[in-house]
Amino acid sequence: MTDFRALLQALTAGKVEYVIIGGAAATAHGASRLTLDLDIVYRRTPENASRLAAALAPHNPYLRGMPPGLPFHFEGQTIWNGLNFTLTTTLGEIDLLGEITAGGGYEDLLPHSMMLEVFGVQCQCLGLERLIFVKRAVGRPKDLEALAELEAMLEEQSKPDGSNV
Amino acid sequence: MTTRTFPFPPDPVIEAYKKDIDRTLIRENMKRTVEERFERLMELQRFAEELQRAGREARKKQ
Repeated sequence: MTDFRALLQALTAGKVEYVIIGGAAATAHGASRLTLDLDIVYRRTPENASRLAAALAPHNPYLRGMPPGLPFHFEGQTIWNGLNFTLTTTLGEIDLLGEITAGGGYEDLLPHSMMLEVFGVQCQCLGLERLIFVKRAVGRPKDLEALAELEAMLEEQSKPDGSNV
Repeated sequence: MTTRTFPFPPDPVIEAYKKDIDRTLIRENMKRTVEERFERLMELQRFAEELQRAGREARKKQ
């Protein structure tokens, strides 16, 4: 199980700059579908890469799906040299993305994000409309059903008595 | 309360899927806090893992 509470608290305590995207963002907006990992877009600066590595280091990050024992050293420089990482940790599964198709990087997504207060921390979450925009643009067949739910959520929120979050 | 206009042109494939979306689940979820939504997601994960474990055990016994 992915411990969303502990992961978000670890990232925020480590002063990591990030935006929640994907299924976890959909959950925050009210989706009922199961998602197994936390997807974040992190700010691509050397300082933030170091903070991100430090925040996850106590939780034994490792490349998801890779055989054990590889010489994987998860440091700020590792993140800086790469871009996207799919990791497993003792807190669960987390995807670190430097940028996403049709969405860009952290700076591009931030204006389309909203501040969440959850589990005692504040974190940025991609807004529902942008989430739909990105998923539509990517156009993966597996996203079609999720998109239908997201758009239905947006319609429900657009009703006069609908919630805005 | 402000109302928003729907910002995307209808996609016929998405519209077809939308017919089967249970909007009662959405409405119930919208009554919950964000924290409650994440708590329910983690409960669902635990439930799914337990079902997977039970399935593995059952297959071993066959």
